[in-house]
Amino acid sequence: MPDRFHILIAEDEVLAAMALEDFLSFKGFRVTVAANGVEALERYASERIHALVTDLRMPRMDGETLIREIRDRDATLPVVVMTGYLTEDSDLKQERWKPLEIFSKPVNPRTICSTLHRMLGIPLEA
Amino acid sequence: MAVGLEELLDTGGFVPHGVCLLWRPDILMLHVASDVLIGLSYFSIPVALIYFVMRRRDVAFGWMALLFALFIIACGTTHFLSVWTLWTPDYVLEGLVKLITAFASLATAAALWWLMPRLLALPSPRELEASNRALELEVATRREMEARYSSFFNNLGEALFIVQVLPDGDFAYGAINPALARIGGLDPDQLRDRRVRDAVKPELADLVIPRYTACRDSGKTIDYEETLDMPAGQRVFHTMLVPVKDAAGRVVQILGSGRDVTERKRLQEEVIQTSKLATLGTLAAGMAHEMSQPLNVIRLWTENTLTRLQDNLLEPARAEKALRLVIEQTERMGKLIDHVRMFGRRDGGGMRSFRPADCVQSAVELVRHQYRQEDIEIVEKGWAAQLPVTGRPLELEQVILNLFSNARDAIIALRATGGAAGRIMVAVGDDPDGHCVVIQVTDDGGGIDPSVLPQIFDPFFTTKEVGKGSGLGLSIGYGIVDGMGGRIEARNVDLEGGGRGVRFTITLPSQPVSSVDREFSHA
Repeated sequence: MPDRFHILIAEDEVLAAMALEDFLSFKGFRVTVAANGVEALERYASERIHALVTDLRMPRMDGETLIREIRDRDATLPVVVMTGYLTEDSDLKQERWKPLEIFSKPVNPRTICSTLHRMLGIPLEA
Repeated sequence: MAVGLEELLDTGGFVPHGVCLLWRPDILMLHVASDVLIGLSYFSIPVALIYFVMRRRDVAFGWMALLFALFIIACGTTHFLSVWTLWTPDYVLEGLVKLITAFASLATAAALWWLMPRLLALPSPRELEASNRALELEVATRREMEARYSSFFNNLGEALFIVQVLPDGDFAYGAINPALARIGGLDPDQLRDRRVRDAVKPELADLVIPRYTACRDSGKTIDYEETLDMPAGQRVFHTMLVPVKDAAGRVVQILGSGRDVTERKRLQEEVIQTSKLATLGTLAAGMAHEMSQPLNVIRLWTENTLTRLQDNLLEPARAEKALRLVIEQTERMGKLIDHVRMFGRRDGGGMRSFRPADCVQSAVELVRHQYRQEDIEIVEKGWAAQLPVTGRPLELEQVILNLFSNARDAIIALRATGGAAGRIMVAVGDDPDGHCVVIQVTDDGGGIDPSVLPQIFDPFFTTKEVGKGSGLGLSIGYGIVDGMGGRIEARNVDLEGGGRGVRFTITLPSQPVSSVDREFSHA
C-alpha cells in the first residue's frame, strides 16, 4: 500500500540519504532524493510528491526556506524535519507549519517510517 | 786682570765721600739716615718675600720672587756701602757690588718682561670669584640632578642594574637598585664590584651571562623575556640591556632594566584561554552539527541492517558495506573529538617546529563541512609551503579558525543586506626569499570600513552587534602571531569578478628557535 506514496528526501549528507532511501524503499515507499533545497523544490514542482523528509542545514537552499516555499504551494503536505540542532525556539514549532514533525539527529528510521504512515493515514502493518 | 782682596780694599789715593760733602754734619746725617733706612727696608723685603713663597708654595712663578729678593738685597747692600764710603773710600768694592746689583736688576727686569704675558694670563681674584660662583652653581645643579636620578634609581619599582664590562671581557656588578635587591633577595653592597659568576648562584649566572655577552658582542640594545627563580618564587621578567660604549666604541658598561611581567603573563594566558573558550563556544554549535551527521549515518545504516536481518533479507555484502560505513563514521567522529579535546587544552602544547600548511589544512577540515551547509565555499590554493616555523600549532590553528569565523560572519552580514557572497580563499606559501611562510585568508564579505581598520587588532574592539563577538579574537591572534615573531595585517581587496573583501596576511619567520624565550635585536 505505501508504494502508492512518493516520498521526497532532502538531505545533503549522501550516506544518510542513501540509508534512509534504502530503508523507506524497503518498507515499500517510492523514494526520491535531493541534495539540497533548490533541487528538492525542482523535484516537488515536477513530480507528484506525498510527503517531504528534509534536513535543515543544506547548501544553496536550507530546509526552512524549502518548507516555506512548499507551504506556499501546499498547506497540507506532510513534512518530517531531521535536524542536528536544538529546535526548542525554532519557528518551525509554530502551529501554522503543520502537518510537520521534528526529529533530532541521529534519527531512528523506524520512527520516520511510522510517522510517515501516521501522517499519510496508512494503517501500520501488523 | 785679577784683582786681589788687598787691591780691592786698597783705598790709597782716594778720599772718602764725606770730603765731597765738606764733612757737614747735617748733610752727612741726611745721607747716613736715608741710606740706612733704605738699606734696612730693602733687606726686610726679601725676608717677607721668602716667607710668602715658603708659605704659599702654590704661587705661580715663585722663582721670580727669589730673583727679586736677590735683586733687592743687592740694592740694599749698595746703600749700606754708600754710608761706608762716606768715611772709607772703598770705591772699588762699592763699584763691584753695584755691578752685581746691575746684573741682578737686569735679570729681574728681563725676566719680568719675559713673564709679562704669562702673568697677565693669570686669573684675577675677581675672575676667580666669578668662576667659583659658576662652579658652585654647577655643583648645586649636579647635586639636584643626582638626587633626581638617584630617586629614579632608588624608588622605581622596575629592577635596575649596572654591569661593568671588565678589561678581560668578564662582567661585574656595578650597582643594583633597591627594587632588584628586594625582588631578588640580593644585598647591593655585597654585589658591588664582584664578578657576576661569584656574586650570584651558578644557575642564575648561567642564565644571565649569555645575555650580557650577547649585548657586549653585538653592541646593541637587546630585550627578551626570561623566567628566573627568585626568593619570591618563579618570576617572569621583561629585561632590556643597553650597552654603554667608550670613545673607541668598546662596550664598557651595560645598563639593565627588568620589569616583572609575571602577573601580566598570567592575565594574558587567561585571556587567551577565555578567548579559546569563546571560540570553542561558537564552534560548539557547528560541532553539534558535525557530530550529529556521522551519528545519523550510523543510526540509519544499523537500523537498516537490523530490519533486514530481522526479516531474513540481509545479504552478507550489504551487511559488510553497512559495517564498513559505521566504522568510517566512528573514525570521523573520533577525529572531531580529538580536535575538540586538544583545542581546550590549557597550554596548547609546547613550542615546536611545524609546517603552517598543516594547521591551515586542519582548520579548513574542521569548518569546511559546516560552512558548506551555509553555502560558503573554502577555496584553497598555493600549498607550496614547506618551510617550518616555531610555535604552538594549535594556537596558529586557533588564529586561522578565528579568521574563518570572521570571514563567515562578514559573508552572512553582507548577504543579509542583499549582497552576493560566499567564498573564503585561503593560501599558504613560502616567501620567495625563503625566510618566511605567508598565510592569506581572503573573504568576499564586502570589506571593512577603512576608518576602523587600524583598530581591529585592539582588544575588545568589535564591529559585530552586542553578544556576537567578544572583540578578543583578532587581538589574541595578533598576540599569538607576534609571539611567533611574525606579523598579521589586514587590508581591503577588490576581488576578480567584482567582489570586495578583507585579506588577512600572516607572515611567519622560518627560524627554528631552540629556547622558549624570545629575543629581538634592535637595529
